[in-house]
Amino acid sequence: MAENSKSKSALPPYRVLDLTGGGCMLGGKLLGDLGADVIKVEPPGGSASRIPPYFNNIADPEKSLFWYANNVNKRGITLNIKDRAGSNIFQALVQTADIILESFEPGYMSGLKLGYSDLCKIKPDIIYASISPFGQEGLKAHYQGSELTAWASGGYMYACGNPDRAPVWISFPQAGFFAGAEAAIGVMTAMFHRWNTGEGQHIDISMQECAVSPNMQLLQTWDVARVEFRRTGGCLVIPNTGVRQYIYFRCKDGYINIMLQGGTEPFLTSSGNLVKWMTEEGMAPEWLQNLDWAEDYNAATLKQEIADRVRASVESFTLTKTKNELYIEGSIKKGILLAPVNNMKDISEDIQLEARVYWKEIEHLSLIPLLPIADRLST
Amino acid sequence: MKKQVFEGIKIADFSWAVVGPLCSRYLAEHGATVVKIECHKRLDLLRQASPFANNTPTPDSSMFYGKINPDKYCVTIDLQHPDGKKLAWKLIEWSDIVTESFSPGTMKKWGLDYEEVRKIRPDIIYLSTNMQGSGGPHSAYSGLGYNAVNFSGFTEISGWPDRMPAAPHGAYTDLVCPRFAALGILAALDYRRRTGKGQWIEQSQFESSLHFLSAPLMDYQVNGEIVARNGNRLPGAAPHGAFPCKGDDNWIVISVLNNEQWQNFCQAIDNPALSQQKEYATPGDRKINEDELDKLVTAWTLKHTAEAAETIMQRAGVPAQKIFKPQDVYHDRQLKERNYFIPLKHPVMGEQKFEMQSCYILSKTPRRIKRPSPCLGEHNEYVFKELLGMTDEEIAQHIIDGTITTEITGGMKVTL
Repeated sequence: MAENSKSKSALPPYRVLDLTGGGCMLGGKLLGDLGADVIKVEPPGGSASRIPPYFNNIADPEKSLFWYANNVNKRGITLNIKDRAGSNIFQALVQTADIILESFEPGYMSGLKLGYSDLCKIKPDIIYASISPFGQEGLKAHYQGSELTAWASGGYMYACGNPDRAPVWISFPQAGFFAGAEAAIGVMTAMFHRWNTGEGQHIDISMQECAVSPNMQLLQTWDVARVEFRRTGGCLVIPNTGVRQYIYFRCKDGYINIMLQGGTEPFLTSSGNLVKWMTEEGMAPEWLQNLDWAEDYNAATLKQEIADRVRASVESFTLTKTKNELYIEGSIKKGILLAPVNNMKDISEDIQLEARVYWKEIEHLSLIPLLPIADRLST
Repeated sequence: MKKQVFEGIKIADFSWAVVGPLCSRYLAEHGATVVKIECHKRLDLLRQASPFANNTPTPDSSMFYGKINPDKYCVTIDLQHPDGKKLAWKLIEWSDIVTESFSPGTMKKWGLDYEEVRKIRPDIIYLSTNMQGSGGPHSAYSGLGYNAVNFSGFTEISGWPDRMPAAPHGAYTDLVCPRFAALGILAALDYRRRTGKGQWIEQSQFESSLHFLSAPLMDYQVNGEIVARNGNRLPGAAPHGAFPCKGDDNWIVISVLNNEQWQNFCQAIDNPALSQQKEYATPGDRKINEDELDKLVTAWTLKHTAEAAETIMQRAGVPAQKIFKPQDVYHDRQLKERNYFIPLKHPVMGEQKFEMQSCYILSKTPRRIKRPSPCLGEHNEYVFKELLGMTDEEIAQHIIDGTITTEITGGMKVTL
């Protein structure tokens, strides 16, 4: 946690030189949160990652909230590593460093004589992590990449969205964050190797692999069962029957997600509790009270007609309540597997995060933003 | 063969489903010995989840379970049984790291929580991962990653502005959270090496997930702006989206991020005059006229296969990529060169492709998958006898009294 003194941090002040951009900057932040001494190296004029959203919507690199969110717990310098003087300063810094993080196009750092093979000559145990869209070598290593192309190369994007429109990403790009987090894990794995052997090494992180990783069982569903999953919008489609099982319902102020399923636990108890609640409030028709969730609402036997009737009935109930009413009464008190479809306001006002002191206010020049702090470690 | 990084590190993995098991995999893939503790009376959710090899649901034929658990040993202990706790303690005493993903309070109920364990093993590293943390007004919240993706904000910003949210597929946060848990364990190992002390790592999956949304959260907290779902669009960039190609449900993404790429794009579609049109001259102009621009792009992409369009764009220097379907991922030559999928023979499922967990290659100690996912209870003998030093008689007695489980009660069910 940020208020911990250095001696209470999990990590010693390993020196990290962070030359990454975009979401990849999260990797250095996580190491900084854990106690590392992270130095963000920007080119003169500032990084291209000082992007929107901006503080008070003032389009100024000094006011990029994206930048602040991913660079807390770091120190910052500007250095032109492309010219000789800057390169010399960088190499002097490398001799004091444990870890280098970079996300340039493969070959860029080597072109400046600052690649792994160059730097391990002057700092043999350096741990050097390189993030790129497809990895440092191979057919696509020099592809032009972006957050969107990285996401598309993983197979996961194909499964997201409505069936009658194009696949969609998440409206706030994610691939860089995965890659940054992977870099941090890779670096700490290499650090373990360094304790054992004294050796540093190079780490080659692929954003494509990061974009493959959210796939749940979709890849195997094709490889093992030869079923090509089609995106289904806000419902589950049972592969062998094609029946649409609804898990999103309108309520007074938005949408609520209910894992409205039968067949086995924990869904039987959850769906049973929902019907009981609707019954208490006089909103469960008799046929719904008598529905056998184990037999008639399991994936193997569910009929579309029943799924549609259940959806209409449940939604007439959820429409009488707010997201928060359903959340507190339904999930926390009654143990129904449901969740509000939260927006950024809902999350910012969440009482659980407040009770656990998740947010920490940090003063910064003229800005006083609220920055999310990292995972806490108990010691 | 070079020694793997985590050879000699021992993990007693009490976790189930996705988050905990994927966390321990980061260490298994680099040599750690991971023993997964399961039970026939309460199958790991994923053993009941499709797809099943040969289309035959058995506890050992789910490749969803398989994908998550290669390189692990599996023992089956009934923790509800009076003697189950004794076996669990033997494993805990053997281990460096304990991981669990039960609802808060479950391990305490069994007397296996961190406070108990640290009394005997002050150097233990103990991970508890759950939905919303072990304390606070919502700590009792019991749910799945399929729920967490919604309260963590990802659903609200996925899909089209004129439609209800389209939801990132599946339990998205389940795939975000293992990374934070694994990093916590590695940091705790570093701390233990220097101080000799263990520690408790408590993960609220809600809190970890929000690191992937920090800027939009600040945008609300600082500016009062609530980010909305917006298809595939990105502020400041156009064209930027997914466009239809020839064939059935084939798509390409194209993202033009600056003026140079815009010039390249106009060359690529053989329409250099377009780059001179004032409606599209600057990124700002292209954003204002993005709907019209998207129609122009679509008219071009529809004339090509996704593969051909990707090649044309990339040759011209425009970021573009076919939206891979699952089969494309298996056939991708880039992933093949990185040995991302490892074919291994599984005793029940036959040969299957197991995929890597870590998305990085260490130059001197690369990731490895050596063994397929374990069958239920497959390593009872190996673990209790070879790793824990129990006698054949003791093991036989535990099988007879039901502490070590061997049979499923109530038959095989399919959940997902």
